[in-house]
Amino acid sequence: MDHTLNIINVPGWAAVGILLLIASLPLSLLLTFTRHKAAKKQDSGRPDWSVPSIDAYASQTSFFHTWDTRVKIITLFICCFIIVSLENIASCLVALTISCLSVHFCKIPWHRARNRLLAMTGFLSMFLIVIPFTSPTQSGETILLFPLLSSFPFHVNGFYVALVIILKACSVALLMEPMFGTASLSATLHALRRLGLPSSITQMIMLSHRYIFVFLQEVIRMYRGMKVRGFTPKTDIPTMRTMGNFLGMLFIRSYERTQRVHEAMLSRGYHGLIPTFIRFELSMKDIAKGVLWLIIGITLFTVDRFAPMLSP
Amino acid sequence: MHISDGVLPTSISAASFAITGIGVALSLRQTRQEDLPKIAVVTSSFFVAALIHLPLGPTSVHLLLPGIVGALLGPAAFLSIVVGLFLQSILFQYGGLTALGANGLMMGTPAYLCGLLFQSIRGNTLKTNSIAGAITGALGIFLSAVILASLLYLSGENFFGVAKIALAAHIPVIVIEAVISAFIISFIFRVKPEMLYH
Repeated sequence: MDHTLNIINVPGWAAVGILLLIASLPLSLLLTFTRHKAAKKQDSGRPDWSVPSIDAYASQTSFFHTWDTRVKIITLFICCFIIVSLENIASCLVALTISCLSVHFCKIPWHRARNRLLAMTGFLSMFLIVIPFTSPTQSGETILLFPLLSSFPFHVNGFYVALVIILKACSVALLMEPMFGTASLSATLHALRRLGLPSSITQMIMLSHRYIFVFLQEVIRMYRGMKVRGFTPKTDIPTMRTMGNFLGMLFIRSYERTQRVHEAMLSRGYHGLIPTFIRFELSMKDIAKGVLWLIIGITLFTVDRFAPMLSP
Repeated sequence: MHISDGVLPTSISAASFAITGIGVALSLRQTRQEDLPKIAVVTSSFFVAALIHLPLGPTSVHLLLPGIVGALLGPAAFLSIVVGLFLQSILFQYGGLTALGANGLMMGTPAYLCGLLFQSIRGNTLKTNSIAGAITGALGIFLSAVILASLLYLSGENFFGVAKIALAAHIPVIVIEAVISAFIISFIFRVKPEMLYH
């Protein structure tokens, strides 16, 4: 076995170039994110607390909208697990392309998918920056030595691992839009119940999702009141006391408010189930779509595992 | 910190999915049907609380509050956390669908344990309740950081560096959560003590 390492001493200018290139991706994403946030903050004078409505684009027609929700959820769920099992950069790129095409064809605006990718930037850029410098040395691998950073060798292998993780994370994140954005949330939850999730869990998801928007209004109202009284958040104990009281009040108010709603629901005959009028009808077309996706997924997985063995 | 899709090996994410599933089933068994709306309320108020950022020097952190979920819901905290994480992942992509099991384990277990601890040490006075709040607040974050680091450690040698940095990054959060949790618990104890799980 070859135990030698390919150590490449990178000259200063190239080192700066490579590091800038690696940092540019997360940095540019973060910059657009902060600019986007700042623009939103300017409009309303408070931090951005908007919550996207998951099923805002559920009433379109597309490949995914017409697909039976049960088959769609279970197929795409399996595909998500296939994607996270990929190991080669080429197959991850194929998966990313498929996900991008899916977002394109499900007719949901791209800014929603972009926000999903932005939400992961912080966590994923940590991997991109840390793993190349800290991964273990393997025999026969290429190591770049940057000037001034000689105690932290840059492992090309580690960089490859980090890139694969990022591509997989983005592919799965993009698939969330066709998976959950193309049917109303109640249809999705009904489908999950038919797939075997206990009805108490789907009821809880439904209620929690409804209440999020109610409580968000409450928070915005309370925060406005705090601002009017001259509250500016700082890193100190008074800020924390105010925020602690603020959150405590949020919990109590939301609890008392929904207590009344719950009593009203009980008196109208609620017993843990909200009747739905959603009917699922399974057609051959739905199954064909599922089979098509699974064939693509399984082919991708097989190529990912066995292609490196075939190539010399 | 939430684990994204694609980070953990499939074996670990599938195994944590199974463990979280068992945890949810156990949690559901200890919950009465009429308590579900209350759990939903707490779940969504924590979802909203997690949107609020606190300034920390030049940057800001958002609150996680697993300790408070435990203190308010007791054994149902695990269920509440998993539902909250599911909503966070489908609405915002915090965490991810295939990492839901791992994230549920990472946040739900501390919430459950903190709930048990809070009940046993809270006492009857404002002072002991606030101190119990601070301890559970700090412990909740500490435990989730430890579980996060161990999941990354299990995933292979490539992740050792990330695991160490993730542990270190949680230290300031532990302090902030301890202080905030003490204030929240003291507020709830003074205003509506029956809301704390008993």
